[in-house]
Amino acid sequence: MHIPDGYLSPTVVVATYAVALPLWAYGLKKLKKSLNEETLPLIGALSAMSFIIMMVNIPIPGGTSGHAVGAVLIAILFNPWIAFIAVSIVLLIQAVVFGDGGVSTFAANALSMGFVGAFVGYYTFKAFKRFKISPYVAGWAGIVASSFLIAILLGIEPIFWNKDGVPLYFPFGLKTTIFALVGSHMLFFGTVEAIFTGLVYNYIQHKNREEV
Amino acid sequence: MKKRIYIVLAVFTAMIPLGLLSDAPAWGEWETTYYKKILGFIPQGIANAKEIKTPLKEYSLSAFNDVVGYYFSAFIGIVIIFAVFYLLARLFRAKRS
Repeated sequence: MHIPDGYLSPTVVVATYAVALPLWAYGLKKLKKSLNEETLPLIGALSAMSFIIMMVNIPIPGGTSGHAVGAVLIAILFNPWIAFIAVSIVLLIQAVVFGDGGVSTFAANALSMGFVGAFVGYYTFKAFKRFKISPYVAGWAGIVASSFLIAILLGIEPIFWNKDGVPLYFPFGLKTTIFALVGSHMLFFGTVEAIFTGLVYNYIQHKNREEV
Repeated sequence: MKKRIYIVLAVFTAMIPLGLLSDAPAWGEWETTYYKKILGFIPQGIANAKEIKTPLKEYSLSAFNDVVGYYFSAFIGIVIIFAVFYLLARLFRAKRS
């Protein structure tokens, strides 16, 4: 789901940064309030976990692969703003150190995998809170929502940015991107994110209850 | 909570070579040759994209095999992530006082 450089038109690049900048500023304020000696190792380790699971590429039928993100887990253990900032930091490191995802597209990736994933996951979790399956449903909903925004951002490229019908940036339209990206996340990577979020959430919370 | 998070992190980190089992790219993250093959051309923006030089391109070290490169990348990634949070915490504290 990491959009590389060159896939988005300058207009979309500027627009995604314009949307992301105030959100990052607000998210950092939230992080400032909750980052202390007790929470730093936890937030650091959960961010590291997000980084690690994104390295585990899972092949699916059709010759492509994908991975879980881990944004929802941070959102439901801490809060969605912290998850957004944590995933943004992970994505920035992936872009500049590992060449995974672009620099111009960093805001687009952070808004999708970070912001949308964390908030959709968080509110889904709240909505299903009475049920045991809530962290699983939240994980699934979060990553599917992320893939939807990525599909929109990529899919509008050939519609608006082409020269006599020849696409200048990402060449495939909305029908294709939604089918391929959202479809594969609903079926496969959503399931992986669901299992990851549910199992790890329950495992970590279990300990908490014992301590109380 | 802390101990369990570290256990999970260690387990997943140990498992990362599983991510190397497939060399299938993520949907949309193809080499430029893919576009040439499918479309007959490479979209201008994608062809002209400036690839920034990154120290650990695609999580690999050229001198070592993929598994070593992957573990090394994971280690470096984790260290940088903790360093960033630590620096942010110091920055926040400095601003407060």
